[in-house]
Amino acid sequence: MDHQYYLWMSYGATAVALVAELVALRLGRSRALRTVNEERDLEAQD
Amino acid sequence: MNVFYFSSPSTFYRLAGAMAPWFFGLAVILAVAGLYVGFVQAPTDAVQGEVYRVIFIHVPAAWMSMFIYFVMACYGAVTLSFNTRLAAMMARALAPTGAMFTFVALWTGAFWGRPTWGTYWVWDARLTSELVLLFLYIGFIALANAFEDPRRGDRAAALLALIGVVNLPIIYFSVQWWNTLHQGSSVSFKGTSMHVTMLWGMLLMAFSFWMYAIGAALVRCRNIILDRERRTRWVRAMA
Repeated sequence: MDHQYYLWMSYGATAVALVAELVALRLGRSRALRTVNEERDLEAQD
Repeated sequence: MNVFYFSSPSTFYRLAGAMAPWFFGLAVILAVAGLYVGFVQAPTDAVQGEVYRVIFIHVPAAWMSMFIYFVMACYGAVTLSFNTRLAAMMARALAPTGAMFTFVALWTGAFWGRPTWGTYWVWDARLTSELVLLFLYIGFIALANAFEDPRRGDRAAALLALIGVVNLPIIYFSVQWWNTLHQGSSVSFKGTSMHVTMLWGMLLMAFSFWMYAIGAALVRCRNIILDRERRTRWVRAMA
């Protein structure tokens, strides 16, 4: 098989892994901020 | 300067927020330079041809997988010794990035092994001990999140991280201790058997991954701080 296939599979998977981690970090921040705001609003209602 | 000032979650949160973009920026610059050297300047390998260029991510990822685990275990030791909150949070923040680099090292190794060895995988000492490292990372993450009380999870996971350190010399010396299919080290403190351009490409990519890992750990640690400190006044005032 052509060597380009092995290079693309290596570099492509690395790029996907890096982007997936960055997206997960972004989502984690949104989730954490949402939880803070929800708890603060609930306490304000009480 | 009082270093304990920076171990306060509220201070660290702001500091990490200011530093993370710089680390990500450095990672991008170094990666561009590393890929340029690796793909444009580095010559084709006489034996392996073009496929050897996998080393520009495989080797740095493997280095980072071990280095991050070592740093994580150091934070684990600090957690167990001094019961510090921030050290435990940093250990947790490093684990997913370490697991990601371990996966990348195994994956790219498989796609380098197929054209050079004729197989994606063999159960030799280097590959198997690196796979064990991935399981240690997954075990650390699972154990840290298995407790209702996060501080108990911190201590249990820290203990696992410390026990797992024994795997690091096994990975590093496996190619010397056993007869493995995996090649020996091309780079050591004594010198290198590589072409200098290839070495530069690899080192630039290693520094890029290092900067990325610090940036990602800082951002993840900020998320953990937000979650843990969500009932404090400073988080509520900021969110």
